[in-house]
Amino acid sequence: MHSVTLTQALLLSLVAIIVGVDFWLEAFFLFRPIIVGTLTGLILGDVTTGLIAGGLTELAFAGLTPAGGTQPPNPILAGLMTTVIAYTTGTDPKTAIGLALPFSFLMQYIILFYYSTFSFFMSKADRYAEEADIKGLAKINIITTSIVALSYGIIVFLSVYVAQDLMKVIVQSMPAWLTHGFEVAGGILPAVGFGMLLRVMMKAEYTPYLIIGFFIASFIPFSNLLPVAVIGVALALYEYFHTKDQFAFDGGKVAKGDDFSEGI
Amino acid sequence: MAVKWRREMILVKESNKKIFTKKDITKLAIFSSLLQASFNYERMQAGGFTLAQLPFLKKIYKDDKKALSNAMKDNLEFINTHPNLAGFLMGLLLSLEENREDRDVIRGLKVALFGPLAGIGDAIFWFTLLPIMVGICASFAMQGSLIGPLLFFSVYLTIWLLRIPLTHLGYNLGVNAIEIIKEQSKIFSKVASILGVTVIGGLIANYVHINVLIQIPINQEHVVSLQTDFFDKIFPNILPLGYTLLMFYLLKKKKVSPVTLIITTFIIAILSSYLGVL
Repeated sequence: MHSVTLTQALLLSLVAIIVGVDFWLEAFFLFRPIIVGTLTGLILGDVTTGLIAGGLTELAFAGLTPAGGTQPPNPILAGLMTTVIAYTTGTDPKTAIGLALPFSFLMQYIILFYYSTFSFFMSKADRYAEEADIKGLAKINIITTSIVALSYGIIVFLSVYVAQDLMKVIVQSMPAWLTHGFEVAGGILPAVGFGMLLRVMMKAEYTPYLIIGFFIASFIPFSNLLPVAVIGVALALYEYFHTKDQFAFDGGKVAKGDDFSEGI
Repeated sequence: MAVKWRREMILVKESNKKIFTKKDITKLAIFSSLLQASFNYERMQAGGFTLAQLPFLKKIYKDDKKALSNAMKDNLEFINTHPNLAGFLMGLLLSLEENREDRDVIRGLKVALFGPLAGIGDAIFWFTLLPIMVGICASFAMQGSLIGPLLFFSVYLTIWLLRIPLTHLGYNLGVNAIEIIKEQSKIFSKVASILGVTVIGGLIANYVHINVLIQIPINQEHVVSLQTDFFDKIFPNILPLGYTLLMFYLLKKKKVSPVTLIITTFIIAILSSYLGVL
């Protein structure tokens, strides 16, 4: 069992502010659990726990994306709190994922609240546009981003520092079957994310590719998914040249004339 | 599309003197990262989309307040595109602004292109690249190796840097980009989906873990494990595949929210643990 010191908590807040803004802008992907977990581990002086927790959370969150302006459960709070809980309570990171989820949902709803309320800034933006006021428009963007940044800092500080004793009490009072249940759930959880990915990408005509990927990963013993990705690239290239030939043959009928915005 | 017939007219004007240097366009690519700075449900990325272009619009319109105001008003309309491709779109639009094209043409093009670009971007960056990177990097991380996060970060840093050539491309192609986007977007999305679906198949096999603990005693020495003697004999990873497909079905056909499914998964796991099933 460890405790998070005040300095560590403040450093974690700072990291949360930086990766929080990165998530808000979707720029460098520092907000993914694999990075957040590692950074958290570095600050806590336990990189290994950070790496394991980050890797596990990353898998569970692979399909929970903000594509199309939706807001998924927050990947930053998930990666950060999974690491912090595993470190402070000494519990397995697999169990810690479940305990970190409420924090992830909380941040998700805070961001959703901002998505709605920031709409009020738009009438102001219209006025600045009317007056060609560049500074005014910059101000709006600075204010909104700062609100988000500050929220990450505060929420993470409270979650990490103030709630840590409560977390320890909860974990200690958990019976073995409950701890094990959380661990089991952590192992199944990626299925929800992968289901989300299939929901956007899967069409009946792609079934062969799902089977091929599943089959290869089940029977080729390899530590990561590189072989599957390589075969996926080969299949994609095959389809690319095949479709292009067809395109040339049909004189352009294939790719023209309909709404491609729903092509995924 | 109403925009099409104006195309020849635009091409004729293309010989106009350029206002922007290469450095300006690189700056635009970097500023394009502000796209979501004031994201909200009413206009989505409009605030950041306008802000990123403002220094360059100012360079075109200088002290012409009326023209600058009109450009700002157009850009403040609803837009939702992919952050990695926003620079491309901004470059394209600024090449038109630079030629002082008709405002309706510029606006029409923006409205026509942001959706398809969002589609291509989501298909490539969220639904294909991310699963691949997770499939490769997560296992390194879980073995305690820094290669996982470092590889992940370097790939995404490269992706961010790609915004620079993409913005130059958008600016240089100008209206010529439209045909390319229209022709390529469908095939791009399809190819990305194929790669993505293949990798998801692998992810399911490697990273969803369901291990049934039930043992059935046949006689005094012999015990049959439901997992190793039954499910694994049918097909390895059959339960993870089944559960993922169930999630897919519930999300797609029954429109169940992912949060509900996450919580339900926890309840099922805890109950099964209590009963000694999983």
